[in-house]
Amino acid sequence: MITGVGAVTPLGLGAEQMHRRWVDGVSGIEDGFGRCGEFEPADHLTLKAVRRTDRFTQLAIVAAREALTQAGWEDSSFASNRVGCVIGTGVGGLGTLEAQHDVMLDRGAERVSPLAVPMMMSNAAAGVVAMEHELRGPCWAVASACASGADAIGQALRMIRVGSADACVAGGSEAGVTPLFVAAFTKLGALSPSGIPRPFDARRDGYVMAEGAGIVVLEEEQAARERGAQVLGRVTGYGATADAHHLTAPDPTGGGAARAMGLAMRDAGIGPEDIDYVNAHGTGTPLNDRAETAAIKLALGDSAARVPISSLKSAIGHPLGASGAIEAIATLLALRDGIAPPTLNHDTAEDGLDLDYVPAVAKPLSRAGDDGRRPIGISNAFGFGGHNAVLCIEPA
Amino acid sequence: MTRRVVITGVGAVTPLGVGAPILYERWEAGCSGIDERFGRCSDYEPADHLTTKEIRRADRYTQLAVVAAREAVGDAGWDGGSPYDPERVGSIIGTGIGGLSSIADQRTLIRDRGSESVSPLAVPNMMANAAAGVIAMDHVLKGECYAVLSACASGAHAIGAAKRSIEYGSLDACVTGGSEAAIHPYGVTILGQMGATSTTGLSCPFDARREGFVIGEGAGILVLEEEEAARARGADILGRLAGYGATGDAYHVTVPEPTGSGAAAAITLALAEAEIAPADVDYVNAHGTSTPLNDRSETAAIKLALGDHAMAVPTSSLKSAIGHLVGAAGAVEAVATLLALREGMAPPTINYEEPEEGLDLDYVPNVSKPLRSEANGGGRIGVTNSFGFGGHNAVLCLRAAAANGGERA
Repeated sequence: MITGVGAVTPLGLGAEQMHRRWVDGVSGIEDGFGRCGEFEPADHLTLKAVRRTDRFTQLAIVAAREALTQAGWEDSSFASNRVGCVIGTGVGGLGTLEAQHDVMLDRGAERVSPLAVPMMMSNAAAGVVAMEHELRGPCWAVASACASGADAIGQALRMIRVGSADACVAGGSEAGVTPLFVAAFTKLGALSPSGIPRPFDARRDGYVMAEGAGIVVLEEEQAARERGAQVLGRVTGYGATADAHHLTAPDPTGGGAARAMGLAMRDAGIGPEDIDYVNAHGTGTPLNDRAETAAIKLALGDSAARVPISSLKSAIGHPLGASGAIEAIATLLALRDGIAPPTLNHDTAEDGLDLDYVPAVAKPLSRAGDDGRRPIGISNAFGFGGHNAVLCIEPA
Repeated sequence: MTRRVVITGVGAVTPLGVGAPILYERWEAGCSGIDERFGRCSDYEPADHLTTKEIRRADRYTQLAVVAAREAVGDAGWDGGSPYDPERVGSIIGTGIGGLSSIADQRTLIRDRGSESVSPLAVPNMMANAAAGVIAMDHVLKGECYAVLSACASGAHAIGAAKRSIEYGSLDACVTGGSEAAIHPYGVTILGQMGATSTTGLSCPFDARREGFVIGEGAGILVLEEEEAARARGADILGRLAGYGATGDAYHVTVPEPTGSGAAAAITLALAEAEIAPADVDYVNAHGTSTPLNDRSETAAIKLALGDHAMAVPTSSLKSAIGHLVGAAGAVEAVATLLALREGMAPPTINYEEPEEGLDLDYVPNVSKPLRSEANGGGRIGVTNSFGFGGHNAVLCLRAAAANGGERA
């Protein structure tokens, strides 16, 4: 059961804000980057907390507070040792690593901050969020590049299913808009020279690097009902596979990604005919969007042509290790409102990219409300390294 | 029917040499792999194991993982490729910091020569999921694949996550473990500045003179398989991964909770899952970092979790011989624990000279000692502890296959 969601994204503070602005077709991208421009650390954290945490941890803290507030947790809701915390990230505190490296080179090793390690480590967000809310269950970070956030939520789901925890705070966070990362992804040819993300469009030229965090509160169903929690929806399935193909290029047939979608649907006990919406990984790179289209066709068969598919990355860019978590939240809210938010900047079709990408304008999910059933969505996340993670989501 | 998890292969590259058997043999003999204040894998020569292309395309931490994984996969008898549907085999590898050298060196490069000069391989080399991805590619493993990061507990958490996936049924087998290679001037600087590393280069866990950990590097990899499937294929089963417990201290980012309660809870959870009573534990492989705080709180945790039996069970730290392998430590120590249980020996905590009040367990000082005899035909039982900055605790409970080959594992 999902009982709380929180997000800090280039579309603003808060999950609802992100959802509304995306549905309205607003873009959070400026000067070729998706920065969380409305996030002012000092508005949320003490000076000491700001000084002691990397930006990726700060974003996670604020998103987690939103999610926990929405979940309405009180001190006695769960035994603290039965609540886990799993937060994905692609690169953790890279900004801190780079800044302290400059300190070492410019001013000497003895001037490097004693906080460099606890700030830069990729498990800092999970550790700090656990500390703030006294979560004493299983706690770690997941890294699978751009699939990290989705894998983290998938592991939280498993953790609750196998009984290692009654609840888990899970998601992803990233603040990788740093000189080294921008240079490295530019060199790799993955970043958009135009600075405009155009997922599934013929003119797409790469992704726009972004930052942000998305956190969900998952609870075991019975426990959530017993405490009278307001349930927002459910993560019903998780599928994870590896391409074992190439470190930075997706398998062009989409085979590994399609298998992950198939596994997630099977885990949820549903089939392609039950899917009402696909939240695409849709990075806007030439390779991903083609491989992902192939994967969706493989996994959904005849249903692929019918299902609205859109990419949040068209509006906020690609927040790497946070994207899978932010997009899971966006998927839940889209399903709740029975609407497919749009793929912005999409107007030129490419041969073979012929699915319904919901170009430019949001549209209602046509089957929502039929027979009183709730719409079902899947959210795709694929990462460098050949990692594929797919979540199946249903609103309450 | 609960799916159970067995260990069919192990591999390690450590400061004691290339290979899991040599790690055990040299540790058992009391050798030290620490030289000039660091635990380097000096016997590891990349070109002996990898092609020039493979070397160029992988950070050292990934290289160490790849070599350890090849050993483990060979040990499991997977020489002709995995005996399972590739889609049912995972690759889950822990690391503390991934490609730190690549990050630091590339950062220097863009400072000195501009952002254009960055390597096109910078991203795949530095990312913390590279080892998991490259191993998946090397052995064509197409199941779940990711990295786990929980600082010094990463390797143990990765193995625990692999266990969960096999039990849950999403995998039939998994190549899992941890890898780290952070002995780079920058890694040494940031770890040194936080005051956690030894200034003398002496790794002396539980000794009154301890004053910090010695930075080591290396990788440890295990092949885990679902028991029925492993037996069906006639695998040589080395032991069972019987229990896993994970908790968070939620206390402080760099300081362990002094009463050891979170760590003790992880030990208790691992034993409960393995259905093993504290009195049945034959050996404890300590996290034993040689820092003033860890060794004290860990001693408290072992006493809390094992009760009276704590004083009787041999407890030793591999870190005395190889230093602290950070995100690889939990995995290398799981490998060492399994081999110690199989050989029936507790390898020593070397460099142990001065007792400290309150640190009064049997730390197996300097000389290895035999473990007690196998009970009732079952293999010996060990616990291996891993605790990480951030308050992460991960404990694995291992049971070696019985020596007589009768009731195995």
